[in-house]
Amino acid sequence: MKRIITLLFLLVFICGCRSVGKDVLRVVMGLTEEEWQVMRQDIFPLFEKEHDCRIKAYQVEAQDWVRKLEAMVSANKVTVDVFSQDNMRLYPLVAKKLVEDLTAYVDKIPSQITPSMKEVGVFRTRTYFFPYRPNVQITYYNQKKFNEYNLKPPKTWDELLKVGKRFKEAEGVGRLGLKLWGGSPTVAQVYELIVSAGGEPFEFNDQGCIDTFVFLKKLYPYLSVDSKKAKWDTTNTYLANESFYLAQNWPFGVNIIVKEYGKNEIKAYSGWRGPKREAHTVGGEVLGIPKGAKNKELALKFILFLESREVQEILVSKLGWPLVRQDAYGQIAEWQEPYFEAVEEALKEGVYRPNVLYWGDFEKFLNEAIMRILVNQEEIKPVLNQYHQKMQDVIIAYETRC
Amino acid sequence: MRRAANFKDYRFELLLILPLALYVIGFTLGPIIYAILLSFQEQFTNNFSLKNYYQIFSHFQFKNALINTFAITILSLILELCVGLFLAVLLTRRFIGKGLLRALMLLPLGVPTIVSAANMRYIFDSQGYLNEFLSRLHLINLPIDWTGGGGLSIFTLALADAWKVTPLVMLILIAGLETIPLDLFEAARVDGASFWQAFRRITLPLLKPFITIPLIVRGIDAFRLFELPLTLVGSSTPVLSTYTYFEYFQYNNPYTAAASAVILLIMIIISATIYLKISRERKSIYNL
Repeated sequence: MKRIITLLFLLVFICGCRSVGKDVLRVVMGLTEEEWQVMRQDIFPLFEKEHDCRIKAYQVEAQDWVRKLEAMVSANKVTVDVFSQDNMRLYPLVAKKLVEDLTAYVDKIPSQITPSMKEVGVFRTRTYFFPYRPNVQITYYNQKKFNEYNLKPPKTWDELLKVGKRFKEAEGVGRLGLKLWGGSPTVAQVYELIVSAGGEPFEFNDQGCIDTFVFLKKLYPYLSVDSKKAKWDTTNTYLANESFYLAQNWPFGVNIIVKEYGKNEIKAYSGWRGPKREAHTVGGEVLGIPKGAKNKELALKFILFLESREVQEILVSKLGWPLVRQDAYGQIAEWQEPYFEAVEEALKEGVYRPNVLYWGDFEKFLNEAIMRILVNQEEIKPVLNQYHQKMQDVIIAYETRC
Repeated sequence: MRRAANFKDYRFELLLILPLALYVIGFTLGPIIYAILLSFQEQFTNNFSLKNYYQIFSHFQFKNALINTFAITILSLILELCVGLFLAVLLTRRFIGKGLLRALMLLPLGVPTIVSAANMRYIFDSQGYLNEFLSRLHLINLPIDWTGGGGLSIFTLALADAWKVTPLVMLILIAGLETIPLDLFEAARVDGASFWQAFRRITLPLLKPFITIPLIVRGIDAFRLFELPLTLVGSSTPVLSTYTYFEYFQYNNPYTAAASAVILLIMIIISATIYLKISRERKSIYNL
């Protein structure tokens, strides 16, 4: 008995020594299972080996992170060293002073990183976040169906409308996909339509906004019925099961639609231009260090490691993510090349949405306006005037509070 | 003095229930009270007012959610009671394979709601099994949008909910049916009563107390439907719980979300009070 206890004690001691001897880096990310697998198998071990440390990674959804970090900082118990966050949810982190100022380290960002991507992490003159994963919406289309009906991928709003009409005439049901499930997917899509019509989305009732809703109202009868259930993930399914012949989505869909569903006939291109310009919503994630993180130095090394060419090459080849640096595209498979050409084309006309505290209210108002105008078929101008007023009230309220 | 002595006598028992009491206070009562307080606080000033309630009651999606919640509850209750009663009557009769049928009927009860919701999506999707089936029978030319909003979605949700919980209603009704003395049916048969007459004059009146229980318990449950509408219809057919969820998680407004949650809480409290009142009355009637 004594021996067993001694052995157990030794075992616990050895295990304890093992973790005491190494630095531990605590990382928070919001990833899918497939993405975690690549991180844990291909990326984290490289860093652990290089820096003789251990990475403990946790899943936290982007929408929950601000609240969680706020609780940690106010309790003075920050148990995370580095995190990734959706670039549309950064303002509250800065406004509530939950993140470290990284301005002093800006010159460490690799020079190969696209300059516009660095701007996402800048608030006034200070840099709080480093870029690591850009995203831009591209347009997927079913080439087989387009060939069958002798159609070309639409390059303008008028062509898009014609394509929609043709599918409906031929099949009796709409085949264009628009993400109308609500929330961020719907807003990201309508936001870029408004910008491409020359509108200012926060205004709601300027000419660009009105033109966009007039166009959407014309397009609505030609949409697939599944549009109401379409968001980022379901859009891939609807494209794969041919409920949609054309729809926009992030490039992560490439691997799912082509590799998992085996739908080689689904191709991609950058998309269409509006009456004033071509515009594609740029999304993505950045990396930051929480205020009071215990392992700031190692966290910074980890951020720079994720921006390295080596890691970015793994991300593009294994996950199909667009990259923050152009010199890492060399590793993509041949079948992925046309899709990444579409990504690069779309990024040329990329639009960054402003990081504002009232983004949540804006999303809510825009979703409601879409629902009332498209689904409930209400008059465009009175609805947009109402939301213009609501938006102005909210902006004033936030500005007064700050 | 006596009360103090009582506390001393039961010190150990009190110590035993303390963790549970703390758990209930910390994780149930605390959040409820916090949500109620939050529902009266204004978003920008933190002043106490009814503004959040005014805001949600003037919001078209909240009105839709309220109407949808009631419509789904009523429709699913009707479906569950009708089908549950039919199955209960069927399963109290003697026939070959009755045991197997009863086991099969109870299967949906064991399926997690989120799994049943995902399965229902396969059935009711525009490219789902139901549309495919109807199309193969040449009953439809174009797919029906079962989950795209409106009355059809309400019906789909009620049907999906009924599939999951009808076995529970059926079990309660079977228990009720088994309390009815067989002599009554015997006497009715001797008097020449048909099956339908016996059902109307004997079964239904004597089963009434057993119908009330699932009616209220399921009513409360139907108000709380969440995973099913979220997965099956998303925001196209909001109910109170999904409306609250969207307000909180999608639009980052905990204040209006709390107000909506409080309305749901009030509806559940009213239903629970009715249930408790009826149970108490029944206990006094049966001298239990």
